[in-house]
Amino acid sequence: MDVFPAGHPLLQAQQLKHTFRTGRCALQSVNVTIHAGEMVAIIGRNGAGKTTLTKHFNGLLKPTAGTVLVGGQDTRRVSVAQLARTVSYVFQNPDHQIFHGRLFDEVAFGPRNLGLSGKELDQRVASALDAVNLAAYVDRDPAELSRGQRKRATIASVLAMKTPVLILDEPTSGQDYQESRQIMAILQQLHQQGHTILLITHDMELVQEQAQRVLVLGDGQLLLDGSPDELFRQASLLQIAGLRRPPIIDLQHRLEELGLTASVPTAESLAAALASRIQQGPSVHVDPTPGRNAACP
Amino acid sequence: MPKITIDNLSFAYPDTSTEALKEIQLTIEPGEFVAITGATGAGKSTLLRCINGIIPHFQPGTLQGAVYLETSAGRSAVGRVSTPHLARYIGSVFDDPEGQIVSPIVEEEIAFALENTGVDPTQMDERIQHALDDCGIAHLRQHPTNRLSGGQKQRVAIAAALALAPSILILDEPTSELDPDGTEAVLHVLSELHRQRGITVIIVEQKINLLAPLCDRLVLMDQGRIVLEGPPRQVLRQADVFTQLGIELPVPARLMHALVKEGALPPLDSPGAPPVPLTVDEAYTLSQALLTGS
Ligand SMILES: Nc1ncnc2c1ncn2[C@@H]1O[C@H](COP(=O)(O)OP(=O)(O)OP(=O)(O)O)[C@@H](O)[C@H]1O
Ligand SMILES: Nc1ncnc2c1ncn2[C@@H]1O[C@H](COP(=O)(O)OP(=O)(O)OP(=O)(O)O)[C@@H](O)[C@H]1O
Ligand SMILES: [Mg+2]
Ligand SMILES: [Mg+2]
Repeated sequence: MDVFPAGHPLLQAQQLKHTFRTGRCALQSVNVTIHAGEMVAIIGRNGAGKTTLTKHFNGLLKPTAGTVLVGGQDTRRVSVAQLARTVSYVFQNPDHQIFHGRLFDEVAFGPRNLGLSGKELDQRVASALDAVNLAAYVDRDPAELSRGQRKRATIASVLAMKTPVLILDEPTSGQDYQESRQIMAILQQLHQQGHTILLITHDMELVQEQAQRVLVLGDGQLLLDGSPDELFRQASLLQIAGLRRPPIIDLQHRLEELGLTASVPTAESLAAALASRIQQGPSVHVDPTPGRNAACP
Repeated sequence: MPKITIDNLSFAYPDTSTEALKEIQLTIEPGEFVAITGATGAGKSTLLRCINGIIPHFQPGTLQGAVYLETSAGRSAVGRVSTPHLARYIGSVFDDPEGQIVSPIVEEEIAFALENTGVDPTQMDERIQHALDDCGIAHLRQHPTNRLSGGQKQRVAIAAALALAPSILILDEPTSELDPDGTEAVLHVLSELHRQRGITVIIVEQKINLLAPLCDRLVLMDQGRIVLEGPPRQVLRQADVFTQLGIELPVPARLMHALVKEGALPPLDSPGAPPVPLTVDEAYTLSQALLTGS
């Protein structure tokens, strides 16, 4: 990974357009640069172009106009197999990705292509399956796993690759809270180690908690490139892009109407603020109008 | 409108050592809105498959106990009812929407569902339009189904099930790939259908913060068993079970539990304890009442 020092422009879309053969223009002139070592969330409505955009970074789709560079190389001039050494990808639908009859072989497929074998291969597979809690299923047919387990199997495949860039299309869909936080912890750890992580998600809580940078797509255009805080302050953008504030942010905004604040909003910190206000005795400043909704459009 | 009785149901997939479902006992009244949640592999989809008849009609395995459908005409085990007959009562959205779609064009996919159940052709157009509108995909009516985004495909599968307006609607994580707006819209439509037409809704979801205010009953599953079930306000009192299972307690309920810990509210099982808030609005109202001392 020393080929891409932190901060180096690693994934670049320049005036990227993609028009499908149906005539549908799914990306219209997108400009974005992802630097080595970044962790970026991509969000937006169904059909906004999130998957179309990220598939340009592993070369599965080529621009119909404009340019996409991966590690400085034009994706039109590099084979998908070659790009796979830099970028690994978790598909939105796990069943588009899984094609082996045994989980071990499924996860070993990528590393084998990188030339790994023997003990090292075994270790890679074992630790990747362990990370996603599927070690017990190593000899099972992935087709016989539950949907959420299949999704985690495809995440294991990518973890075993250890490529500089990981792109994950909705990695936590179908996972429960603990499982999705576990997946995010693994990704954060990789991020700490210098990997560049791009993830598509519809989970706003996850965006708020985990992303440093958010790209909001709408109708094939980049509507915002900023921080989660910036995003959740822009009511009109949230509406246009079909997004919601996470419930905790909503609650924080509502309780601000009652004069309650917490620097890091959690249910617990807000409750503590409320409890200490109650101890100070009945408040004089409270607006008694019930159900007032000023903070949430 | 049939009642569903699940009586001591256990199920094991072929060649597996552990049962995917263990001694499930559950009665779902006609017109109930039931939300089921739990970790991956907990058995949620398997349970739905036992209710809509995929198990045992299409999926082999070892089944003990039974699922019964009960109407005024009598009671029969799902395994003994023919699948075309089941299809008259039950509409399903599977966890794999793409695998469910069979038609090349969106409109045909909805029409296909309707034709199969003998809907009057003169009503067809309106039913299709309505279902597409409800799922926010009216603009995709003539679109090829294999050239849709993931969330668009999921919306098509939901629209096909909604168009049928069956007495029992079974949905397996129908919003897993939907954007926040679409998720709210679809859940709202389900809730309206349930309220206005008395349709039974059985939905598996991870987004219980959105389901809790809508459903009559919340069911938590873990390792093939039902661990906890009941009206949401009751279930959400048991924060410890949520923690133990790794299921997220919705923010409004968390606020209340934290207020109890802070001593600002009496323990939730004491008489006179206020009901658990299900929405941010309810949490706001509760906080306000505490501050004004009312
Ligand atoms: N193969 C294709 N041919 C034609 N149009 C397509 C194709 N794949 C996707 N589209 C269209 O391009 C647009 C962008 O699709 P894309 O899959 O990138 O959306 P997305 O943002 O990933 O949505 P989702 O959240 O539903 O996954 C959509 O309107 C979709 O209908
Ligand atoms: N076709 C199959 N053959 C063998 N085992 C299976 C099969 N389908 C599911 N299982 C196993 O049965 C258990 C329950 O699976 P099920 O699909 O019901 O879980 P789930 O709660 O729906 O999970 P998810 O949230 O991932 O969809 C899991 O351990 C799974 O691995
Ligand atoms: Mg997508
Ligand atoms: Mg499932």
